[in-house]
Amino acid sequence: MIIERSSEWKEGFTNRVENQEQWDNWTLYKMSYEVVKDNLITDFSGLQSPKYLPNLTPLAHQLDVAETVITRMNGKAILADEVGLGKTIEAGLILKEYLIRGLVKKVLILAPASLINQWVEELNYKFYIPAIPYKKNTSIDYYDVIVMSMDTAKKSPHKELINAQNYDMIIIDEAHKLKNHKTKIYEFVQGLKKKFCLLLTATPVQNNVFELFYLISLLKPGHLGNYETFQSSFSASKHSLEHDEYLRELVNQVMVRNRREETGIEWTSRRVQTIPIEFTDEEREVYDLILELKNVSSVFSGAFSMITLQKEMCSSKEATYLTLTKMRQNCTNQEEIDFVDGIIQKLMTLEINSKAEKAYEIISKANDKVIIFTEYKASQVYLQWYLNSKGITSVPFNGQFNKSKRDYMKHLFKEKFQVLIATESGGEGINLQFCHHVINYDLPWNPMKLEQRIGRVHRLGQEHDVHIYNLAIENTIEKDILDLLYVKLDVFEKVVGELDDILSTYKKTI
Amino acid sequence: MYPQQVHDYLQKFFKENNCEIVDGNEHYMTVQLTVDIDKKIMNRPFHWQYIENTNGVPDPAQITLITDQTKISRDIKGEVVHFGSPRLSQLFQTTNQLGAYVQMYEKVLNNLETRPILTPWLGVNYKISYYCDRTKEMLHSLGINLMTGEVINGFQESLATKELDVQKSERAFLLPYIIKPLRALDRLDAVVENLIQQDDHTWAEEAKGRWQKDQAILEHFYAGVENKPECYDMEKKALEEQYEARIKIDIINGGLFYMK
Repeated sequence: MIIERSSEWKEGFTNRVENQEQWDNWTLYKMSYEVVKDNLITDFSGLQSPKYLPNLTPLAHQLDVAETVITRMNGKAILADEVGLGKTIEAGLILKEYLIRGLVKKVLILAPASLINQWVEELNYKFYIPAIPYKKNTSIDYYDVIVMSMDTAKKSPHKELINAQNYDMIIIDEAHKLKNHKTKIYEFVQGLKKKFCLLLTATPVQNNVFELFYLISLLKPGHLGNYETFQSSFSASKHSLEHDEYLRELVNQVMVRNRREETGIEWTSRRVQTIPIEFTDEEREVYDLILELKNVSSVFSGAFSMITLQKEMCSSKEATYLTLTKMRQNCTNQEEIDFVDGIIQKLMTLEINSKAEKAYEIISKANDKVIIFTEYKASQVYLQWYLNSKGITSVPFNGQFNKSKRDYMKHLFKEKFQVLIATESGGEGINLQFCHHVINYDLPWNPMKLEQRIGRVHRLGQEHDVHIYNLAIENTIEKDILDLLYVKLDVFEKVVGELDDILSTYKKTI
Repeated sequence: MYPQQVHDYLQKFFKENNCEIVDGNEHYMTVQLTVDIDKKIMNRPFHWQYIENTNGVPDPAQITLITDQTKISRDIKGEVVHFGSPRLSQLFQTTNQLGAYVQMYEKVLNNLETRPILTPWLGVNYKISYYCDRTKEMLHSLGINLMTGEVINGFQESLATKELDVQKSERAFLLPYIIKPLRALDRLDAVVENLIQQDDHTWAEEAKGRWQKDQAILEHFYAGVENKPECYDMEKKALEEQYEARIKIDIINGGLFYMK
């Protein structure tokens, strides 16, 4: 076994024996011995970090996670608590423990750009870990704990700089961004040396079970077998209950997940409603004409563009108009152009947006702060105008806002305005516990996006029941989206575990 | 460490280092640092370089440290110090640097009839750390009699009952040592290594077991791959760093002790 020792003390001692240097103070000598004795880590297991953090009171489930990850998972794990249970605190506890135990010195934390400052602040103020945000000219040799955005890290020259370092621990926040193994960021993370590694995500499975396979293969390649064996044992076609259970057990060896209801904290409940909406006859006519487009022109034959148009038509005429006019430019044949123009004309004369009216109805009934999530910027602008015409004040919000603008918008929403209208990218990184109504104006394909949205308000600190309204227009693509969301949720619950309500439960029996 | 213990520690630290406590109560203190301590804890090498190069008047800082914020009035501004705070760990380190080597004599009565004989000892406090993916630390305070070569464990504790002084009492007679201090240090080093060898090392076996298990999983992932990619070697190296058992021996402090 390797025994390391330093000869430094001996040199100093020699100097004193030979009368070349002064002896030290006896009281300081005794104090020094006492400090070391008091802070001795006498046991391989157990957590040291809490006694170093007198100003932080971790919750029981957070301490459990830290201990489990260190003693049972040997410091490589997916932290998959439901949104709002404090995964950052758990990661902080684990990191602190390894720092105290002298097992980790250099740490790289990858997080979405919007969360970098939050990480730096929490680590510095809650954990006394001197983390710094990475800037263009930061020389990373000199700093032990660096927080960087994934987008930066994967690019040159930053990528090379990181690879030249010898990191002991890698922490990746919002790790579901690594679900696709063909992306640059996946390849980058795969190439990092991961002595200790934490992947944080509330949503380790978003669309299919392969995402989990790739995530775990980053953390512990081979844990779920290689791609071929995994595919042959667990692909959807060979589904059986025993397999699900076996897979779940394997997954649980590298993943910890707490659910709100298991934490022993009084959680307010989620009241989820799916609100069916009927198009007006005029809206229905335009929707049907859009469906016709694929038979009229090859420009519209692509499945993707058709789906986009249908979804947009379910959102607002403004959103539809933008896409339609853009696509019209690709039409060559006069007949096609005329047909598209006909649709545009009918579209522009529409006076009622049934969904917006429903949203307004919900907002007036709630008579309280409401967040609306939409997928389209054009709908965001429209909704702001529409609500304003009804005398309801609102602020827009999206992920491209810089930090001060985000903070300002949040402030306006909290103090002055009734509604916050966010686009998808506004879904992460803001905490709005003071609000308890969420309208999902458009539905995303991915149920975990809904979970992230709801997590903005349903998190620690929420004191009221949270109302969630999923709007879906009858007999349109939104019905298909809804069905698919249920299927995906089913996959998630089978391999990862139960999930708090995202969609209304009565449908599950269908 | 409770706030009160931290407070006592700070008070003792500054007193021993001749820094005057100019204001305060049981929950905070304002301290006038000396030049030496300022250089050690205030982190401003350029400031001191400037003062020295320009022959300026040294201006060591005055700082206020708060050990229990809940018990003082709001107008007192200062740095909150508690167990785990960077400031306290810095002071621990400084204490360690300033209290690494001592030479002490047991006090004896100065009466003319007797000539008490003091025997030289070398005392060394060792910290042993076991590392794999986990950590455990042990403390051994060893003392060796420089006349006889006798070694005892728990040396530092045995000093607690004795009265020691940096000055030799006038009447005391010092036996010259037979074993040279540096030779004695080598002997103690060997004793420590022996202690390690005698110890139970199941922990290292277990770490090896975890390592082999993870290694097997990794091999499985790349089974049948002819030219294994770079990340395979990377993973392998990571496992080695994660699980390989290492032992580290640190000397906290030590010194020469002349005792009855």
